[in-house]
Amino acid sequence: MARETAVALENVRKTYRIGEPVHALDGVSLAVPRGSYTAIMGPSGSGKSTLMNLVGCLDTPTAGEVVVGGRPVGELEDRERTRLRGTEVGFVFQTFNLMPRLNALENVALPQLFQGIDRAERRERARDLLERVGLGDRAEHLPNELSGGQRQRVALARALVNDPAIVLADEPSGNLDTDTEADILDLFDEFHAAGTTMLVVTHERHVADRADRIVHLLDGTIERIEDLERGNDGGSAVDPGRGTETTPDADADSETGSPTGRREADSE
Amino acid sequence: MNPLESLRLSWRSIRGHKLRSALTTLGIVIGIAAVIAFVTLGASLQAGIIGDISPDDRRNVYGWAADPDTEGGPLAGAQPVFTPDDLDSVASQPDVAAAYGYATIQTQAISNGNETVAQGNGLIATGPSYIREGRLAEGRQFERGDREAVVNPAAANQFEENVTIGDELTVTILGGERTTLEVVGITDTSEGQSPFEGFESSPRVYVPTDPYYVEQAAGLGIGGGSDGSGNDTGAGSENGTGTGDARFLAIIIEADSAAQSDIDAARESATAYLESEQSDASELLGDDLAVTFQTSTELLQQLQDVLALLRNFIVGIAAISLLVGSIGIANIMLVSVTERTREIGIMKAVGAQNRDVLGLFLTEAVILGVIGAILGTGLGLLGGYLGAQYIDLPLVYPLEYVALAIGVGVLVGILAGLYPAWRAARTDPIDALRYE
Ligand SMILES: Nc1ncnc2c1ncn2[C@@H]1O[C@H](COP(=O)(O)OP(=O)(O)O)[C@@H](O)[C@H]1O
Ligand SMILES: [Mg+2]
Repeated sequence: MARETAVALENVRKTYRIGEPVHALDGVSLAVPRGSYTAIMGPSGSGKSTLMNLVGCLDTPTAGEVVVGGRPVGELEDRERTRLRGTEVGFVFQTFNLMPRLNALENVALPQLFQGIDRAERRERARDLLERVGLGDRAEHLPNELSGGQRQRVALARALVNDPAIVLADEPSGNLDTDTEADILDLFDEFHAAGTTMLVVTHERHVADRADRIVHLLDGTIERIEDLERGNDGGSAVDPGRGTETTPDADADSETGSPTGRREADSE
Repeated sequence: MNPLESLRLSWRSIRGHKLRSALTTLGIVIGIAAVIAFVTLGASLQAGIIGDISPDDRRNVYGWAADPDTEGGPLAGAQPVFTPDDLDSVASQPDVAAAYGYATIQTQAISNGNETVAQGNGLIATGPSYIREGRLAEGRQFERGDREAVVNPAAANQFEENVTIGDELTVTILGGERTTLEVVGITDTSEGQSPFEGFESSPRVYVPTDPYYVEQAAGLGIGGGSDGSGNDTGAGSENGTGTGDARFLAIIIEADSAAQSDIDAARESATAYLESEQSDASELLGDDLAVTFQTSTELLQQLQDVLALLRNFIVGIAAISLLVGSIGIANIMLVSVTERTREIGIMKAVGAQNRDVLGLFLTEAVILGVIGAILGTGLGLLGGYLGAQYIDLPLVYPLEYVALAIGVGVLVGILAGLYPAWRAARTDPIDALRYE
């Protein structure tokens, strides 16, 4: 299957100057194809979060080029970059980062609020996504009334709500126990199978193993890229046994169209 | 993000800190309440006073002779200079419809039958038309030369058996001698009929200058009385010009109409005569004694100026309170921005523009300001209402001030919220998300 590039980094350098200049990223080039599942590994301080911030349009490179959704992030005005961040990127954080006074549904709908989408449409879309992450019955709950795993599922639903080109997850299971970690990673697999592009930072091998390939970072450079021979078709990565249990994608696809509907159309 | 959504989200965070938000608005509440209460009271007071000037009174011009440098209200520093001849001559001047004297006769007591009550206010000796027809509830005006009187309800009701038309009252003058009068009319109000009396309610007895004041002046050999408000005008016995000739402390002239031009004409005409050689008063007038003529409205203007000054003072204090209030809001907003740094980071990470964040925090500050203003307005109106009830004034709600108060609430919110909201808007999302 021929794929477009969701995100591309071209000889990217990010230098922090606090006294001695620190090259958090030092000449990184990487292309993330649409629909791929990439894991990033590396020791602490190797530049993983810096890379995520650049791809997530939160930051701009010191040198080189970061292209997201076909646009060079470094050359954009703040307002454009913010818009890109809201529409082309979905974040999943280690610490969930949900709005404490908004309930699950409102949290999921939040990114659409800033895109000026009207309330009824927002709620419908958010409810749909909550159902797909298995929290249809928790829509009115506040984050502190949810377990860690549930919170991360809300965060994932929020990341997907604007139908982004890529989902960025920085240690998404770092705060979860083994079982809930498996649940959330299964959800990742499902959405990936449905076409979502995933970029996941982790320092745990079994998490990285779910990806198509692993990018190993060291001191701000790509040490090596490990191809996991999982095949290019995301669908093959799904564990069929799990898939039927919680999977929302089969019926969701037929009902309302998946978050990847646009992606598939684009890539044809 | 549309304003309604900002409002929804901001309202949510305000409700999240109910007590804190309530305390924050307190400064605004107090400031606005003070302004509204005092403005309401002031407006009611003004309406109460203006309402007392009936259309008839608007034709009247009140005159007295005093040192031109004397400050104060009606009759301040007045000396008795006007003779009955002067009054008659003034009345016959062009543009003057009528003229009569005004004086008070000090008394000790009044008796109705065998019931006697102390009466310190004295008798008000003046012309028949001083009590205007419209102000008579019963009976008629007294007539010149007769031993008649018009009393007000407070005077009529101070006896166990109320005074009615036709009753004969006995008055004990300050010197001790007694005189009688027949009640021929009762007024509709116990408030004063002119600025000379003041407008407060008290028992008053109105009598013709002739015979009462004329006899009084002849009997005691003095030409003046006192208006009872503490003016030292008792002196005057030394001016033995016309022995036994009564000199009046004050003169009231009526213009042809209430139009300003007619009033000015009457005033000029009367002043010209009194200052000319022809008048008896001119013998006494000089550099340090000049005739002043003023209408009720002009006299009230002075009172209103004092009221306005008082109001400005209160508004000044309230403005300080508002300033303190807005500093309070700004302070809480800054705390709130710091507390919610992480939330700001989240919003920015999911696509909130700087102006969205700015709008949210500004909206929050404006909500606080407006809530304060609304509560303050309610409290102020209540205070003004209770105050007006207490002093028995017609209630006037200064509605333009209510609108202004809400406007001030919005303005205070914007001013107080601008800096904190700007700080929130330029928060760096990467730092904010790391913030614990
Ligand atoms: N805001 C910053 N200011 C200065 N140095 C930074 C900043 N952010 C990251 N760094 C430095 O850049 C390097 C890479 O950091 P980071 O991308 O957070 O690594 P990782 O996520 O892999 O642990 C580290 O040496 C870190 O100290
Ligand atoms: Mg990191």
